[in-house]
Amino acid sequence: MDSEEDMLDANDAESIDDDFDHSYYRNNDDGADAYPDDDYTFLEEDADASDIVALRRPQLNYAVLAETDIRQRQEDDITKVSTVLYISRAEAAHLLCHYSWSVSKVHDEWFADEDRVRNSVGLLDKPMIQLSNCKELTCGICFEFIPRNKITSAACGHPFCCTCWEGYISTSINGGPGCLTLRCPDPTCSAIVGQDMINKFASDEDKEKYSRYLFRSYIEDNRKTKWCPAPGCEHAVDFAAGGGNFDVTCLCSYGFCWNCAEEAHRPVDCGTVAKWILKNSAESENMNWILANSKPCPKCKRPIEKNQGCMHMTCTQPCKFEFCWLCLGAWSDHGERTGGFYACNRYEAAKQEGVYDEAERRRELAKNSLERYTHYYERWASNQSSRQKALGDLQQMETMSLDKLSDLQCTPTSQLKFITEAWLQIVECRRVLKWTYAYGYYLPEHEHAKRQFFEYLQGEAESGLERLHQCAEKELQQFLIPDDSQSKEFNEFRTKLTGLTSVTKTYFENLVRALENNLSDVDSLGGCSETNK
Amino acid sequence: MANSNLPRRIIKETQRLLSEPAPGISASPSEDNMRYFNVMILGPTQSPYEGGVFKLELFLPEEYPMAAPKVRFLTKIYHPNIDKLGRICLDILKDKWSPALQIRTVLLSIQALLSAPNPDDPLSENIAKHWKTNEAEAVETAKEWTRLYASGA
Repeated sequence: MDSEEDMLDANDAESIDDDFDHSYYRNNDDGADAYPDDDYTFLEEDADASDIVALRRPQLNYAVLAETDIRQRQEDDITKVSTVLYISRAEAAHLLCHYSWSVSKVHDEWFADEDRVRNSVGLLDKPMIQLSNCKELTCGICFEFIPRNKITSAACGHPFCCTCWEGYISTSINGGPGCLTLRCPDPTCSAIVGQDMINKFASDEDKEKYSRYLFRSYIEDNRKTKWCPAPGCEHAVDFAAGGGNFDVTCLCSYGFCWNCAEEAHRPVDCGTVAKWILKNSAESENMNWILANSKPCPKCKRPIEKNQGCMHMTCTQPCKFEFCWLCLGAWSDHGERTGGFYACNRYEAAKQEGVYDEAERRRELAKNSLERYTHYYERWASNQSSRQKALGDLQQMETMSLDKLSDLQCTPTSQLKFITEAWLQIVECRRVLKWTYAYGYYLPEHEHAKRQFFEYLQGEAESGLERLHQCAEKELQQFLIPDDSQSKEFNEFRTKLTGLTSVTKTYFENLVRALENNLSDVDSLGGCSETNK
Repeated sequence: MANSNLPRRIIKETQRLLSEPAPGISASPSEDNMRYFNVMILGPTQSPYEGGVFKLELFLPEEYPMAAPKVRFLTKIYHPNIDKLGRICLDILKDKWSPALQIRTVLLSIQALLSAPNPDDPLSENIAKHWKTNEAEAVETAKEWTRLYASGA
């Protein structure tokens, strides 16, 4: 093959799924401002294409929950467990909390071995000790003789005075969400300190905190739910696995990745985004420090500094993952057979095989070549700010211009939806385009064919989007000026903008798919790259 | 100064520590601060620390007993769970603290830690490694350090 065009055509033929609309862009090579009449011939055809795309779109595999929904679900789950197991609601809440709010897990464990569950959760069904009937008892914390009526205990019966209970409970609640699994102060006793005790001894402020922790635990400890990370947003997202992508859009309109909780970043994967964001952090010294001195928790990815203590790491609430500092494997897999806890054999073996050296070497490379980085960063950032600007324009359009346009063109606002849709498409395209720059930065230099193909696709995406943006922004203006009888031109404008929106949408959807497949079509073309250009 | 409003619990614990000391352990409060204790632990018999006298400091923070006491070795010691600053890796001094524990139980736990070093949960990696790869040699070093730094001379 001797030209890029040929290569692309071959590619088209091989993969019907990725049929980028080359005919459209090829006709417009003479610049963004030119709109030859024959531009519109493809628009009719495209109506069919967009229908197919609509059919291909997967069903939503997530649900956004407001606080009332969350409380309702939590109450329902507690009711279910409490009715089926015939235990109090407070006990049911403890069980659920212990088993990550999974009703089925609670049922399975309970019916498999009730005693074991009771022991590990700390739900005693009878006291461990009987208190004598003396008038006074010694409190196990303050060592004072306390009248019998001022002594209380959890289900186990270990006696402590009311003042000490207040201190114990208050310290625990103010120490964080660990208070949800508070146990009897006696070090040998595992009895849970139930909500009845909390209600009795905690201050109103602490009770509020406790109930807030319990509420949050329902989302944070549940593997299927997460909070929306947008500042100030109090919605949560319930995500069902399967469906292939993690992008979700909250009711607050923030789009984020359910997997890594960064903003929505298709077509780039979470690992690349994390690298990119870390790289972008302005405090590069800070970043270097984090790289040199911390490791991310293997489960929740928060950076952890080990400043003392042993290799047995426990991530903080709510993650609580226990792992080995050396190999980052789960602690439960460790023991004598992996070489004891202080010198993990898995780590030593992997190090000898060069796994860790390789990771470190790659990190080094990524840190270098500042110039190259700046190139990608500037484009990433400018698409980001274009997107913000487009969001603002969209808002202004919806609040002011649409009504005005409706009056001037004697068209009901319901017929002007195509303008809003165009702007929504622009916002989405800016987002995708932005992430293609992170993708481009991490695309290996030596894969020449891929790089060329990618840069071609990206360039076409840029110019296609410019065309749409231009049309929605500039060409609309003339219809906002009071004038006579423009209806024919306005209809033409409608056709054009609708067409551009649809074509750009298709192009970008194909682009996302192609990048998510890591441009695998290029691989199938073999080593033709060197002969190109 | 710091001794006004000393909780009854601390007074009682102090009295009991002085009147019925645990074997091999002495703890006495400082004269100007009743929350600061000078502690001495004798190296347990049949341990590499036998014959040594180890000095520690123990401080009861304002929140005590809701918060754990702060304890540190002052005498240099070769032990996988104690680092060169004398800090001790012991669960009950951290997340496993309970207000039902006491100064006495803490010091007994530290004494037990001297009898049974736990290189599987180390604070000082090098010492732990030494302990795991060549226990006899590590024990010799511990004995040597005991002679050098803890002989009470």
